[in-house]
Amino acid sequence: MPWDYSEKTKQLFMDAVQAKPGTHLGEIEDPDGLGEHGSIACGDALRFTFRVRRHPTDPLKDVITEARYLTFGCTSAIAASEALCYIIEEGGFTPVQALGVTNDDIVEFLEGLPDQKIHCSVMGAEALEAAVFDWAKRRGVALDALGVDTHDDEQEEGRIVCNCFSLSEPYIRRKVRELGLKSIPEITAAIKAGGACMSCHHVPGGLQDILDQVWGERAVAPSAHAMVVEALDPSDKRSSQLSPYQFSKKIEQAIAKYVNPILLDDGGSMEIIDIKDTLVYCRLHGACATCVGASKTLKMLVERTLKERVDERIRVISV
Amino acid sequence: MELIYVDNNATTRPAPQVFEAIKPYLTDLYFNPSSMYEPARSPAHAITRSRETVAKCIGAGDARQVLFTSCATESNNTALLGTAQANPGRRHVITTVVEHPSVLEVCKELERRGLQVTYLSVDRHGNLDITEFVKALRPDTLLVSIMHANNETGVIFPVEQLSRITKETDPAIIFHTDATQSMGKLPIDLQGDFQHVDLLSFSGHKLHAPKGVGALFIRKGTPCRPWMFGGHQEGGRRAGTENVAFIVGLATALDLAVSRREEDHLYLRSLRDRLESALAEQIPAMQINGQGAPRLPNTLNVACHYIEGESILYRLDEHGICASSGSACTSGSLDPSHVMLAMKVPFTAAHGSVRFSLSRYNTPQHVDRIIQVFPGIVASLRKLSPYWDHENDRPRKDASTLLGQNPGTH
Repeated sequence: MPWDYSEKTKQLFMDAVQAKPGTHLGEIEDPDGLGEHGSIACGDALRFTFRVRRHPTDPLKDVITEARYLTFGCTSAIAASEALCYIIEEGGFTPVQALGVTNDDIVEFLEGLPDQKIHCSVMGAEALEAAVFDWAKRRGVALDALGVDTHDDEQEEGRIVCNCFSLSEPYIRRKVRELGLKSIPEITAAIKAGGACMSCHHVPGGLQDILDQVWGERAVAPSAHAMVVEALDPSDKRSSQLSPYQFSKKIEQAIAKYVNPILLDDGGSMEIIDIKDTLVYCRLHGACATCVGASKTLKMLVERTLKERVDERIRVISV
Repeated sequence: MELIYVDNNATTRPAPQVFEAIKPYLTDLYFNPSSMYEPARSPAHAITRSRETVAKCIGAGDARQVLFTSCATESNNTALLGTAQANPGRRHVITTVVEHPSVLEVCKELERRGLQVTYLSVDRHGNLDITEFVKALRPDTLLVSIMHANNETGVIFPVEQLSRITKETDPAIIFHTDATQSMGKLPIDLQGDFQHVDLLSFSGHKLHAPKGVGALFIRKGTPCRPWMFGGHQEGGRRAGTENVAFIVGLATALDLAVSRREEDHLYLRSLRDRLESALAEQIPAMQINGQGAPRLPNTLNVACHYIEGESILYRLDEHGICASSGSACTSGSLDPSHVMLAMKVPFTAAHGSVRFSLSRYNTPQHVDRIIQVFPGIVASLRKLSPYWDHENDRPRKDASTLLGQNPGTH
């Protein structure tokens, strides 16, 4: 499993890990914007903060001067976080301009990312967006009024499609459109949806349906698995007149009355694990459990007792 | 920089003795063992001798019960698909959630073909619940397939006990075990403790033989239909010209491993235990997976909370240390390893699991070197982690509520 990373990606990762001057590891105290994306359950998470040089009268003229991150994730997630901070600091952007930075910019800065790592760059772009929204809130800027899609309510109101990563239909739909995702593997690579249990791929309202709705074409669905789920009759071959319940009660009584007193003398006891037809599965506890001859003794003693008292076909299996 | 290879559960360095033993069959003794002329007798005899050696090493008795294959994956496929084919009247299979994919994925295929499969769970130490196993046995159970030792954690399952219970319940139930990781490391006697095992798989490259050769023990009389046709080799049970050189390599390596098993066992365990206690001492918030269960002597699986395994491996690689991880990022899937998930290793640690697996070719200096660099790598990555309290060098108090418990913050 060789690592397929660009030199740039490796360089950024190593610089970050060694905390070289000019890298962006950390968290700005009392930041002007804070955004998070991902979760530990998903395998990576990013906490992104920035500071602006405030314009005395017009918040829209604030300029981002400093960006920092804390990242839990793989090599490329850490490198992507570094890349994000470089891009943001070098750009001299206002926060609204920063919204124009996309995951593609991060990939370009990294000189490419393997397909299955694209989600690392998306995570950076998402955290940046969240941080800008946070800034807007703090500074009283109405982004909606500027025509920015803040897709506030999509997570609250959206139906969850991918349960493993808690991704809603509006979110997936927006990402499919924004990132031009044309297939399920592309969706999974970019935003992880459908990457774990995969059950949302072809269910009604699932990823394939969303793709079809967005792009208006029907992809070929794979043949459904032939699943035979038939309940098996749990063997009704007991020829004795007793019901299974009565039968097991009778076994328990015989053991309590004739077997356990003997075992108790030696500081032990016996537990019935299961009864299948005339097979009785037993386990020894206490002093008997560590006795070398115990399993053989148990088998002989219990089996003889049960054959005599309950049913001559009984066989005992020590567990 | 010296290479420190501690990924021996993935593959191993071929033993020098093995290399010497196979050389003649890659040079002068290249003849097809099925040919009639005199020179072909030598490779044909080499296969016979190798089969007898393997049979002796696993206590198989009659050597005709040993089938050579291309790898353990083929052996496992043959065991599962072959018995399902040969016993259409029975439709139920029991296995565990922590098997190797070469068993798990075949079980999923069997489900698609209409069989029912019970997947036994494990506890947080990696142990099976014997009661759950007993309850899973059914009148229509065809096959039980349970691994001997787990590749990720080294946890050992009580195959002796499980196979005995199976056969005492119903002698017609076939018992298969994947012994790929335990072969050569643990005693296996198919006429002794393993007398109730019908099918047993293993491969060469985990025990210092080359890649590309494996074996399947098939106890005489076990209904198992071949699926490779077109030749009389291996008693008609596995067609195809024999890989003579590697079969010799497998037998040589196994013989070597078995002859020095106890010595290697003590050596590996002392190295592993030293590594384990040193890391446990130096690294806060680290758990040892499988610690509460019987384990192979060579395997150490640790999970470091709040950092990610792939970046750990990357840093280890910088120091010439080759290990592996159950992290999602190393597998191309997005879930951490199915074994970590089955053991309910918390998400905060499952992504940060690292497996060190040793061999007889590792030295105490290798272990020293890992002890020297690994804690620093963990600390440096934690410095980057949003879940770490950098002042006090421990997880943040709010780590579990921060980001983590709410994957819906996308």
